[in-house]
Formats: sequence, structure tokens, C-alpha cells
Amino acid sequence: MTHCEVKPLKATNHWDIFCCVVDNYGDIGVTWRLAKQLTNEYQFNITLWVDDLKSFCHILPQLDPSLNSQQHSGVHINLWADPLPVRYQAADVVIEAFACDLPGSVVEAMHAQHQAHKRDNSTPAAPVWLNLEYLSAESWVEGCHGLPSMQNNGLKKHFYFPGFTPQTGGLICEKDTLDKRTVWQSNRHNRRQLFSKLGLSNIDDNDTVISVFSYETASLLGLCQLWMQSTKRIHALIPQGRSLNSLTSLLPCAIAELSAGQQIVHGNLTLHILPMTDQQGYDQLLWSCDVNIVRGEDSFLRAQWAAKPFIWHIYPQDDDYHLEKLAAFLQSYCDNLSPQASKICRSLNMAFNTEQAGATAEEWQKLDFIQPEMSLHAQQWPINILNDADLASRLVQFVKNS
Amino acid sequence: MKTAHEIRPGNVIMLDGSPWVVLKTETTRSGRNAAIVKLKLKNVLLDSTTETTFKGDDKLDDIILERLDCTYSYYADPMYVFMDAEYNQYDVEAENLGDAAAYIVDGMEDICQVTFYEEKAISVELPITVAREVTYTEPSARGDTSGKVMKPATIAGGSTLSVADFVKTGDMIEIDTRTNEFKKRV
Repeated sequence: MTHCEVKPLKATNHWDIFCCVVDNYGDIGVTWRLAKQLTNEYQFNITLWVDDLKSFCHILPQLDPSLNSQQHSGVHINLWADPLPVRYQAADVVIEAFACDLPGSVVEAMHAQHQAHKRDNSTPAAPVWLNLEYLSAESWVEGCHGLPSMQNNGLKKHFYFPGFTPQTGGLICEKDTLDKRTVWQSNRHNRRQLFSKLGLSNIDDNDTVISVFSYETASLLGLCQLWMQSTKRIHALIPQGRSLNSLTSLLPCAIAELSAGQQIVHGNLTLHILPMTDQQGYDQLLWSCDVNIVRGEDSFLRAQWAAKPFIWHIYPQDDDYHLEKLAAFLQSYCDNLSPQASKICRSLNMAFNTEQAGATAEEWQKLDFIQPEMSLHAQQWPINILNDADLASRLVQFVKNS
Repeated sequence: MKTAHEIRPGNVIMLDGSPWVVLKTETTRSGRNAAIVKLKLKNVLLDSTTETTFKGDDKLDDIILERLDCTYSYYADPMYVFMDAEYNQYDVEAENLGDAAAYIVDGMEDICQVTFYEEKAISVELPITVAREVTYTEPSARGDTSGKVMKPATIAGGSTLSVADFVKTGDMIEIDTRTNEFKKRV
């Protein structure tokens, strides 16, 4: 049984974030990071409602999926079931992540508060209701960010669009992320220690190490076949998951039979099967690799904060619409690069995302020519793009202004 | 009720107890194929305009007001004048036409629907498809006949859109007024 009640007036520090898990890591990865950041940096009282706690366990191993309510890193985590298994009290701010439909009881509670406020304006107004949208570098985002969405019941929801320009909602990045990364990367010992902790052996300092977290694509197999022939030793670090579906021809057994730490050697390429890690561990992995192949939204951003060259495998959409989104990002990312580096960076990402295995391998080989420029660019990009206003700070300001 | 995706310029929707004329619609795609619809609206009662955003599948209360089939007659700044089959004339504010104004040209014979609120003509809805003359476009660059290669073109009335590479100046083309997209050469 769900209860709705109107709460007393108080500061806007109780936020509810609702997350419907669509794949195992993306949506929950973004909302979990945001929840932690709002808790740690703003001392807000955050409740994260998640409809699939088992998937959440992949990035938060301490989570007990059998519990309806628990607390980790200062964030209250509630199971979002229908009906809600815990008593619902309207928060000051309600975020529906990625346009998930809020439970009816939550909307009812917000509406009840709205009605009560209309009758007596000494009672709190309806919560600030936000739809946190997907990240896109497309130009239309600026025109839609922050617009209200008037609801039939009189409530007002706002669309909040993350983005790369000052006219958008910004990018999720904790205040200490770049400093932590700099410290980490300044000492090569950290990398060795991490690899050792992850059970990754036989990696020399001069070897090229690449993390792989992609969707299925023939391009990945094309790269692996190229890497086998490399004159340098290459290590591809791959967690159990979708990337491996594209590499079955290189595996000695079924994917399910692979175990973390297992190494598969083909020529100068060693595939390492990675154990699952939490978000901090994944950051450290990205900071430690020479190149990162990432996917979706959360790991895509973390790869940018890692200040290393990366390939973005964007979530595929109908009619190849994702390629427009990819092109919009590359337009922005490659803006300050030399024509040669820009062309290679764009071509490599496009080839990877259109499953052109041959072209992907061909463009990869050109990376050597632009490596110094790409490394410098990767260092400078996060500083330029964050522009002292990450998503959480812009979001908090937006709520204050609402 | 219509979904936000189905709403067109000229529709009138009820929001928070007020009727709003839809002046402009813009549909984009967010992550995972979800549509986002941005609307420019004019409050019929207050004459104020606003922009708002909806998920493509959000349900909106489009209100059925009195409508009449009319044809465009002439423009008398700031009013567009439409006429019904019995030669009655109705003035519609230029602002209320929103995106539809791009397709209003002298001599057009398209049957438009004029919507009334409290006996006042408040909006105009165009047919889903209109045919307009291309007044200027660059010659075909690649000789493409597939229709997949696009180029910009200006049509009668002065607005521009993307058309297939094989379209020439002087051609008549069909346009989908819901999406402002080129459909075919006629």
C-alpha cells in the first residue's frame, strides 16, 4: 500500500531520483553518480528509486537486491516496484531519469501538494519536477533545455538536457574527478597496482593497454585482428558482456565459461577478461589505459575525464539516427584539432560505429601519426568543456531558479 | 486526446485550464529512439506565447472547436483572410498561423481548416500535403536520381527546405506540412 502525504515546509534539499534500468549499466550508472555527487558535494538528502536492483549490483556490489530500502554512500536506495513498497512522501525535487514514467502514486502526491498550495500558499509548493534527458551534442538541445512541460493536472515538469555548451545542462563530473585523475596518472605505480589488483598479469610498462566496453560490432573483431599483427604487445581489457559477443571466434570457450583474469593470447594481442568493478574502479581503469573504447553515456563521459584517446560506440538507434548524434559530438570534439587529426578521429569513430571493420583497422593505424596531438587534446578537452560548470552545479542552480 | 507527436500547427490544446493554439511543432529524437516534441503555443485567452516540451507519447487534450473548410483569400497586414464556400470572410492573425504561414501563397487552392473559439477565427490548419513551386535551387551536383542525396531549395512564399538532388527550379514538389519535409516531385 502506498501512502501519499503533504510534508511541512522546508529547504529544497530532499530529492527523489527515479531510474528505470534499461541496460545493465547506462541509466543506473548516470543516476547513481548524480545521486552520490548531490549527496557528497551538496549534502542533499537523496533517494534513488531503482526498478532493478539486481542490475544495480553490477556497479554497486555491496547492494542487497533483496532489500526494499537501504543506504550506500549516503544515498537512500529504494526499490521502485508497483505499488511502491515503501511509504512515499513528496520530495522537494523529483527527477525522472531519461523520461521514465513516474509511478502514479508519486504524481498523485505531487498533485496533492500542488492543490494544497493553491488553497493555502503557506504550505509548500509542488516539487520541482524534472525530466533528466539523455546527453547529446546536437544543436537542438540548447533550444529545448530547461523548457517547461505543462501537464494536464496543472503540474509543471521541466526538461533538463545535459550538454556540452553553456546553454545546456552540463556534464556529470564530480568536483575532484580531474584532480584525482591527475594524481593517479602522475605515478605509474598506480597503474601497475590496479592491474595487479584486477588479476591482470604480464603487462609491461611499454605495452599498449586498451579497455574495451562496447556493444556488439564487427569493427572490434577487425581491430583485434589488426592488434594480433602489431609490432608492439597489445592488451585488450574486456569485461564479460556484450563486447565479447563480437569476439567469439577468438575465444577458447563459450563466453559464460570465461573467468575474470583469464588471458587469451593471439600473436601480439592478449585479451584479458576483466572482473566487474564499481564506478571508482572503472574510472581508475580508464585513467590507466592508453586508449579506451567506451559506449553509451556514462562510460563515454568518464573516458573524456580520463584524458586519454577514446572511441565512442554510441547506442544504436532506428534509421541510423545515432550517427547524427555521433557526428554532432565529433564536430565539437574535433573542432580544435588539426585537419589531419580531426579527419582521422572522425573517420575512426564513424567506421567503428558503422561496423566497417577494414576501415576501422585502417584508421586505427593512422593514430600513431597524431598520437601526441590527440593526447594533448584529450588533456585539454575536459577543462574546456566543463568550463567550471558541471551538471550537478547547473542543476542545483536551475532548481533554485525554478 | 492526441499524442504530442500527432499535434500539428493549427491544433488547439487545453493546458492548465486554458486553450492554446499550436503555432509551431518541432520533433527531435532523444536517446533510445524516444521522440521529444517542442511546441510554440499561443494562449487564446491571454494572447501570450510560450514554448513547451513534451515526450512524443505524452497525451494532450486537443479540443474540438468549430472548424470550417476555407481557402486563402488575401493578406491584409497583420491578418490573413480566409473565405468559406459561402464567401464569408474570416480574419486570422498572422502570428496565429505559426509555421503554416510558410505555405500561404497567393492563388493557392488548398482547402484549409479555420478553427474558431467563441466565434473568433483563431488558427488555420493546412492539408497534410501541399504542392508548391520551387523558385530556386542549385542544379544537380552529382546527377543523383535516387532521392537520397538532398540539397536546399526555396519554394514559393520564400521558405526553404531540403529536396532531392534531382529537383530543378520551376518544379512542383509535394511537401508534408507536419514535418516540413519534401515528399516527391509532382
